[in-house]
Amino acid sequence: MPDTTADAPGINRRQLLKLGLFGTAVLTTVGGIASLGGCSADTPAQGFQQLRKDDLPMLRRVIPVVLVGALPAEQQAAIVEGVLLALDNNLNQLSPSLNTQLLQLFDLLTLGVTRGAVTGIWGSWENANDEAVQAFLKRWENSSFALLQQGQNALTNLILLSCYSTPASWPQCGYPGPPRI
Amino acid sequence: MPIPDLFTEGLKRDWKVTNAAQLEQDLTLEADIAIVGSGAGGATSAEILSAAGFKVLLIEEGGLFTSSDFKLQEHEAYPDLYQEGLGRMSKDGAITILQGRAVGGTTLVNWTSCFRTPEPTLAHWASEHEVLGHSVEELAPWFARIEERLGISPWAMPPNANNDVLRRGCEKLGLHWQVIPRNVRGCWNLGYCGLGCPTNAKQSMLVTSIPALLDNGGELIYLARAERLQLDGGRVTGLECVAMDERCVAPTGRRIQVHARHYILAGGSINTPGLLLRSEAPDPHGILGKRTFLHLTTFSWAQFDQQINPFYGAPQSIYSDHFQWQDGATGPMGYKLEVPPMQPGFSATVLGGTGVVNSELMQQLPNANMMIALLRDGFHPDSSQGEVQLRSDGSPVLDYQLTDYTWEAVRRTYQSMAEIQFAAGARTVTPVHNDARPASNLAEAREMIDALDLRRFKARLGSAHVMGGCAMGEDASRAVTDSLGRHHQLENLSIHDGSLFPTSIGANPQLSIYGLTARLSSLLAERLAG
Repeated sequence: MPDTTADAPGINRRQLLKLGLFGTAVLTTVGGIASLGGCSADTPAQGFQQLRKDDLPMLRRVIPVVLVGALPAEQQAAIVEGVLLALDNNLNQLSPSLNTQLLQLFDLLTLGVTRGAVTGIWGSWENANDEAVQAFLKRWENSSFALLQQGQNALTNLILLSCYSTPASWPQCGYPGPPRI
Repeated sequence: MPIPDLFTEGLKRDWKVTNAAQLEQDLTLEADIAIVGSGAGGATSAEILSAAGFKVLLIEEGGLFTSSDFKLQEHEAYPDLYQEGLGRMSKDGAITILQGRAVGGTTLVNWTSCFRTPEPTLAHWASEHEVLGHSVEELAPWFARIEERLGISPWAMPPNANNDVLRRGCEKLGLHWQVIPRNVRGCWNLGYCGLGCPTNAKQSMLVTSIPALLDNGGELIYLARAERLQLDGGRVTGLECVAMDERCVAPTGRRIQVHARHYILAGGSINTPGLLLRSEAPDPHGILGKRTFLHLTTFSWAQFDQQINPFYGAPQSIYSDHFQWQDGATGPMGYKLEVPPMQPGFSATVLGGTGVVNSELMQQLPNANMMIALLRDGFHPDSSQGEVQLRSDGSPVLDYQLTDYTWEAVRRTYQSMAEIQFAAGARTVTPVHNDARPASNLAEAREMIDALDLRRFKARLGSAHVMGGCAMGEDASRAVTDSLGRHHQLENLSIHDGSLFPTSIGANPQLSIYGLTARLSSLLAERLAG
């Protein structure tokens, strides 16, 4: 049994170091390796410009955990769908280089070959409970690997920006909206 | 009464403006002077050179957005108006970098703060970087000219409550504070400068120098990315641009070939060194793109009992330089204190992290204040610095490595801001770091700050000011251009933007860029006419 790291159970340190050492953009590298193991659909899901079918269940579980306390109890699912659309629009206007990095991060989180090892979520995203998602985010945040810190930061920033930039979040944070002119 | 959209009205006259996204075939353009970038440096140069009688072509990568497009909505403004769709970061993703990308450049979205280049900065450039002719006295008439042109004067209305926290705290502690001069005329005090001014009160390049260029018979092409300078020995012989789609994400396939007598680069730090790197411009001493600086910015969040509504009102009207020069230019790193506008998307993303702390603080946004410290890097040999590099697709990225010298200053900024916020009556203060929790008194805050693990991603970092990368100076082994912005190796190429600065400025840089490039452009006009 190889010694597994506390950062990413199931993936051994040597494998992770390999991921981090080869290539300049670490996320790109890992995403590239991830996409060797199974091919994610590269076409956007119905109703989206960038997000692919496999990204949606993952994001539908991660978004409410990142935004815990920020979403009203009722109509939460509808608000999460709104955040998804805003996030998709942000991805659509990112530079190609950053867009690719983020989609490869999503590959890493969703492909069967890497998901369990890097997130600790071995079953499907639909069945992951809040505690497991929170544990994954905390593990990445406190990881000693810059790759995982960066991934956690990118994922949470994108969700926070996409949520709070749109009017649906405003009642929760007491923002009356811009003045009418 | 509807607000007149100055730019759209101008377009109905005989202005020469081309949207490259709509080109159906390749295009060749000729001019006396081709300028890349329509922000503070490029547009100021365009106005002066066109007024001197030269045929000027202004080339902008971003889109054209005018006052009637500005709806004060974060989700619309950020992807449209910022570099890389607000995604620009340091190479490691640890520092969010805000730079504008549209006709008018960053002047379209900055927070209107205007400072003359500080005297210690200019003195340091002269003594350490062989910069000639940029003393306080020599630049004063140029700053005065721009202040007149752009209506720059100290904000005459009372500060909004968010800025007033900084004023009250400094006053109570006996620290320096001052009112910020702003480039506005007839400002409505709305607070949405970062999303594009809907009333044309902000004297951005969109409503000042670019209309002046077009009235002078100059030409503007937008959604055109300068891809590569064509070089022959020591001269630039052409500039190849690619047309971008309306999102400014993907090239359309159309190309624009530009020929000019003289070329000026003004795409800002990151983009200007990036273009020179892509063009494989001569760089015999390996300095191109090196020494690129940020005002690395840290954040401190405070909750008050009273309502602040920090998303409304002129975003920046009070600053403190108490901690800026107290140890001289080259001692432990100094910093300027200001506050940002706190619309919710910006605020939540700065706070970052996950879970309850973010949402607890965000739920009290109307009673919140955020303070920012802008660290002055580049003056000390151990301070952090960046290097502009090219990604595999040729796009530029800033590799910025933090040093212990810089982290030491980061910790001091948290201490200073917490003290000022409590002095102003804050109920709690939270240094914006993933491990921080709201502290209810100064002693508790001090203890927490001293123990914080200062590292990338844990400390939330940003910057809206990128400087350097094509430093000016008389020593060609240490500088890309001479003190007049003339490229040391390419005779018909000048650089007129913040990438000339040999260090960071130590103040919001827009007036430094206006004043410096106004002087360089006037001298260039004399040389080209001679």
